[in-house]
Amino acid sequence: MQYDVVWPRSPLATARRPLAPRLGGGPAHGLAGRRVGFLWDYMFRGEELFPVLAGELQAMGADVVGYDAFGNIHGPDEAQLVGEIPSVIAARGIDAVVSGVGA
Amino acid sequence: MLRASVAAERAGVPSVSLVSPGFERQALATGRGLGFDGMRLAVLDAHPDGLSADALVAGFLAHTLPQVVAGLTVEIPVDAATSSEPGALDVVASGTIDELHDLFCERGWSDGSPFVPPTRERVEAFIAATGHDPWRSLGVARPSGREITVWSVAVNGVMAGCRPEHLPVLLAVAEILAGDRYGVEHSGNTTGADALMVLSGPVVAELGFHHGPGAHREGHRANTTVGRWLRLFLRNVCGFTGDEHDKATFGNPAKPVLAEDMDVLAELGWPSLAGAFGFTPGDSVVTLARINSTVMIGSVFGSTPEEIVPYLADGLVRATGWDLTHVYGLGRAQYRPLLLISPMIARTFGRVGWSKRQVQAALYAAACIPAWKFEALIGQWSNLTAGRRTLVDLAAAGLVPAVFAESDDPQRLVPIVTEPGDILIAVAGDPNRANALAMANDGPHGWWTSRFVDTAPSLDLACRIGDEECGA
Repeated sequence: MQYDVVWPRSPLATARRPLAPRLGGGPAHGLAGRRVGFLWDYMFRGEELFPVLAGELQAMGADVVGYDAFGNIHGPDEAQLVGEIPSVIAARGIDAVVSGVGA
Repeated sequence: MLRASVAAERAGVPSVSLVSPGFERQALATGRGLGFDGMRLAVLDAHPDGLSADALVAGFLAHTLPQVVAGLTVEIPVDAATSSEPGALDVVASGTIDELHDLFCERGWSDGSPFVPPTRERVEAFIAATGHDPWRSLGVARPSGREITVWSVAVNGVMAGCRPEHLPVLLAVAEILAGDRYGVEHSGNTTGADALMVLSGPVVAELGFHHGPGAHREGHRANTTVGRWLRLFLRNVCGFTGDEHDKATFGNPAKPVLAEDMDVLAELGWPSLAGAFGFTPGDSVVTLARINSTVMIGSVFGSTPEEIVPYLADGLVRATGWDLTHVYGLGRAQYRPLLLISPMIARTFGRVGWSKRQVQAALYAAACIPAWKFEALIGQWSNLTAGRRTLVDLAAAGLVPAVFAESDDPQRLVPIVTEPGDILIAVAGDPNRANALAMANDGPHGWWTSRFVDTAPSLDLACRIGDEECGA
């Protein structure tokens, strides 16, 4: 007995979008004069990693906006805080973000 | 975390996401589901939880930092996912049962067990029996970004072996998955909780769901196949396959539907589980939550509530570990464990007129642990509470109720939930046995969500399958 079967998945419903343009300038100079925001899910040792990253970025001439500006992006207020990210980015003049930590 | 990165990308700001090894494909798939191919990642050299502080920093500087800088500054051409996927009515394979079984397993479309071939005719018949419009959209599945339609629900229902009359239950669950409250996007988290479906109200008898001996075990078609359908649907439509969104370290088998013993609840005058979420015993409701640990409380001995509450409360405590981060941490007042009791135990309370609220209050008072252990579970042992704040600190900040900070003695006993009503109770199982199960829920990562099950024939089948105007 042969069966002709249909697909158990369903079509993608999300419109494709390109990533935001990178900052350019190359790894050596691209972050000088830029402001980088940190987004943290309050897990997996971000409280140790982000200060190290902040020091390195500042040494490259970048400015840093800490994760406190955004709040816990994975906690009980995730939907609200993720929704507010664009407005915080705009208000703080942030050029790029580093988000973590997925583990 | 990827959702936050996507929010930045949507705002026109470049992002880099920090992930540990093994999460790259999930991260990229999450971005794809939200519309962005090629999300930029910076991978740690090892999972951070097992590293010394020095090794963590050294690895980050040597391995990850260059990826962060490059990810923010250097453009990389992205091959956007091409749209070569089948249409809903396309025949994707032809073959015998064995051939289809092999093919579906190879393509990740099956759970590994044999399935009913989802032919177009079977799916059409499955839907037609209830009158639903097959192309009605219930929303967008997360994290896959795929559309949830009646058709996609039905295809997986056919595969699972469900009967057409089960479709209203499947649709109600699919609507829960499509909504914002439940948090289906977290269903692949590493701790591997699996979803529990609890059915309450007249629908239990109406559709023949089993609630007696072996209530939560395979063996009864309705309970078993609807439980299997959920795993298939999470896999095929929501995207939880092992190579992408399912990051369970261990996971659990699919759970059969747990149907409540409505007769015993009526006898006692107790609300169903759905009563905790605003429904009446006359409402047909399915309730969904993801469950971590489950603990058997065997041979509950005693003829009065006072005799049996300590043991039941102990079972709740034994089921409770890192899940306390849902009291505060990953969740807030979202640890709501379920105590499933047999009718015999329920009647021990009912015989002396105890309401469910009284049972909850007694369990709340008895299910306590030392404060130091609570803090260790969410901080020291799991590192799931940033800053490892004490309960006293959290209470001072208004983040947990004052009952958690009546003193600073680390040996003081504190509750495992924020209020008595947080302990949920359901009644099912062998009526002549005195056993119970304590189940720890996964907080906002599959948050208790209920929905009406409407078994009335739908009037929305206004279009013919295959009709272009219907979008097929």
